[in-house]
Amino acid sequence: MTSSVQIFESELLGETYYRVTHASGLPVYVFPKEMSTTHALLAVNYGSVDNVTDANGNKPFPDGIAHFLEHKLFSNEDGSDSFERFSAYGADANAYTSHTRTVYLFTATDRFADSFGELIDFVTHPFFTKETVKKEQGIIAEEIRMCRDNPYDRCYYNMLEGLYHRHPVKTDICGCVGSISKITEKTLYDCYQTYYRPDNMALVVCGNVTVEGIMAIVNARFSMPPAKRPPLSSCLQEPATVHRSRVTDRGQVAKPIFSIGVKDVRIPVDPAERAKRDAAMGILSEMLFSESGELYNDLFDRRLISPEFSADYALTKDFGFLQISGEADDPDAVLREILAYIEEQRRKGLSRKDFERICKVEFAEWIKGFDSTEEIANTLVSFAFDGAEIFAYTQLLQNMDFDYIQSLFEEFFDPRLFTISIITPT
Amino acid sequence: MRPSLTEIGGAKLFCIATDKFKSEYFSLRFTLPLEADTVQQNSLLTSVLGRGSERHPTKLAINRHLDELYSTSVSSRNQRMGDMQRIGFSADLLGSRYVDGGKGVLPEVIDMLAELFYRPALENGLFCAEYVESEKSNMRDAIRAAINNPRGYAMAKCRQMLCAGEPFALSLIGEEETLSAITPKTLTARYRHVIENAVPTFFYVGNTPAEKAAQMIAASFPHFDKKESAYRAIVKKFEGEPLWGEEEMPLCQGKLSIGFRTDISALHAMAPAMLLLNEIFGGSPASKLFLNVREKRSLCYHCSSSLDLYKGVLFANAGMTPGNRAITEEAMLTEFDAIARGEITDAEFEAARRSLDHSYRQALDNPAALSSFYAKRALIGNTETIDSFRQAVARVTKEEIVTAAQHVSKGATFFLKGNLSEEEDEE
Repeated sequence: MTSSVQIFESELLGETYYRVTHASGLPVYVFPKEMSTTHALLAVNYGSVDNVTDANGNKPFPDGIAHFLEHKLFSNEDGSDSFERFSAYGADANAYTSHTRTVYLFTATDRFADSFGELIDFVTHPFFTKETVKKEQGIIAEEIRMCRDNPYDRCYYNMLEGLYHRHPVKTDICGCVGSISKITEKTLYDCYQTYYRPDNMALVVCGNVTVEGIMAIVNARFSMPPAKRPPLSSCLQEPATVHRSRVTDRGQVAKPIFSIGVKDVRIPVDPAERAKRDAAMGILSEMLFSESGELYNDLFDRRLISPEFSADYALTKDFGFLQISGEADDPDAVLREILAYIEEQRRKGLSRKDFERICKVEFAEWIKGFDSTEEIANTLVSFAFDGAEIFAYTQLLQNMDFDYIQSLFEEFFDPRLFTISIITPT
Repeated sequence: MRPSLTEIGGAKLFCIATDKFKSEYFSLRFTLPLEADTVQQNSLLTSVLGRGSERHPTKLAINRHLDELYSTSVSSRNQRMGDMQRIGFSADLLGSRYVDGGKGVLPEVIDMLAELFYRPALENGLFCAEYVESEKSNMRDAIRAAINNPRGYAMAKCRQMLCAGEPFALSLIGEEETLSAITPKTLTARYRHVIENAVPTFFYVGNTPAEKAAQMIAASFPHFDKKESAYRAIVKKFEGEPLWGEEEMPLCQGKLSIGFRTDISALHAMAPAMLLLNEIFGGSPASKLFLNVREKRSLCYHCSSSLDLYKGVLFANAGMTPGNRAITEEAMLTEFDAIARGEITDAEFEAARRSLDHSYRQALDNPAALSSFYAKRALIGNTETIDSFRQAVARVTKEEIVTAAQHVSKGATFFLKGNLSEEEDEE
């Protein structure tokens, strides 16, 4: 092995994983686990929000390019499609592009080494032609139409439109039919050269593997040179206010659906602080909005909401928001109830009993997540890109203090940072 | 991992004793005949039972109790299997080694499921009127919300035409018109009928031995003196002229669902060949639908097929620009015809075998998937293990897949036509 190995252990979970930095600068995470499936992913710390070059939000590439690139990398120079190769090895391959990253992945129960080699090869050998780009424009245009017909997707993006003035998180990850028509083989190569670099990527494997076995394949197959230039960093200035407090639209729904967004305007710069805020917001949103909370049961019993109602918090280094979604005859009334409930909690103070119960819940859910090789690999990569460590998160959950949650609650829920997106029936 | 079978009176407990997982899984299912006049009440039953029990009379009390049981999540289940309806609950709980020095929460979870089903909150011997009305209203919303999911809508319409007149065509949540006739009295009567005449089947995956789990069940549940209902399913080829249906909706895309039927059921010797046929047709990214209709001709983003061997139905679904419906449909059927003519390359055959094998091995890592594999097979009297089934799949020849294709007939096609014109779509 060429590089030093960092070892991370959790006695509680009975798990150990390793981090090795390849000579190219690529970080490699190996999480050995006795399972039938092995899950591997090669991720790029590049998503739809990275398509900015300056504080004014100017864009170097057409919208949707990260996602377009993800589709197109599966085509190889010899005319083959990597999906077919994975299938020949019996692996289940896929890829996705999110706001913040692009991930190429597969799950294998047999011939792992063949699929793993293929994963490294196809992601590191881009090949685009005019014809294949044109073909992909047709497929992605259908994907865009499919998403446009999806009322839940529209409701989500409209909420982001309300929350953000100019942050690119509000732009559809797929772009639009107009923007993707501007993508050419040249823009794809330029984009690839800019963002696909070993120090901006991570390789993660969880399953029946060893760190030695993985590094032998990486050393033989990963041939990307180390990056010569410093990475591009965006420095977008997003105002600490919401853009619009209410966004409405019509769509193919039987009953109005809504997404209420609360903008996080105090994102910690320090990764450890960010991880703590993330864990605490998870607990806080469960305390306030889960099905074992007073608010949900009150709204549900009064038939103000349908049974499906959820709250999720998302936090990255430069944007964060809480999303509360559901279905209701009168979504504005639901928003009023939520604001009134928050006011009431502010007066009374949060319940310590609720806090203790939810800590137990979050801890149990976190442990259960370590049954799935796929979930472990995904969590590892998201923590890695955010500069955090997963076993430290277990301790964060175990040691969370009530006062921190109480002060977070008081600071986070500013009524001026709320927005509501509603889709009403056509 | 072959499950052991323990009989508890007339009820069966299937158990996979393993310490492989950090979570455990426990479920109970009633398998009832799928019938027009009971399907909706059976479905409503699971929702109303989830609203309150004697000891935990509100949803809030139930959810708080489950939180205290280390975030045990209980989900109600309602599905079609052949011409039967399976209702019940499943629980996902934290492994005992993480709870109070190995004590675990299994006895409490088993008792909670018994409580939900056998000790419900009642008012004067009937289900609470408030809960019944509220769940009827939720069900009405769910019936109307079918339009929120265009792909599911098109497939449901196709299924209704494909199996018209058979129980399988019924909607699990029924129709809006019949909902108003349900009262606390009729629903309680239905409930009494179910618990007096049907027996649940239990499935457990975790590190408690089967005998101990059986004792916990016996301690919490009533004595079961009946046996489970006889399984039934009409599995046959489609006869007569294929049917066509079309509706319009304000959507950008059109959704096409082509339904086929086969006389090969899950118990048939050719079942593994049928599963491979589906893999080659549209079951994976190496399938003909994905590689040829999507990748080569770029007609669709979504184009795939799915097979239900318990009923012998195969659906091919795709989303496309409405104007491309005819060429897409033709392209999809051309791929099926190619299989029937034996045009299966070695690469397609090998990829399908590996893909199917992979999906069965994947189930070994997931307690709920393990339960699903074995519990459904047990119901039709099939005691094959995952490994022996994998071997059966490995023995299938290309010729057998071609023969299986002769057992498939197209029965119905439904097109949900999007009628929104392409909006201005520039940056």
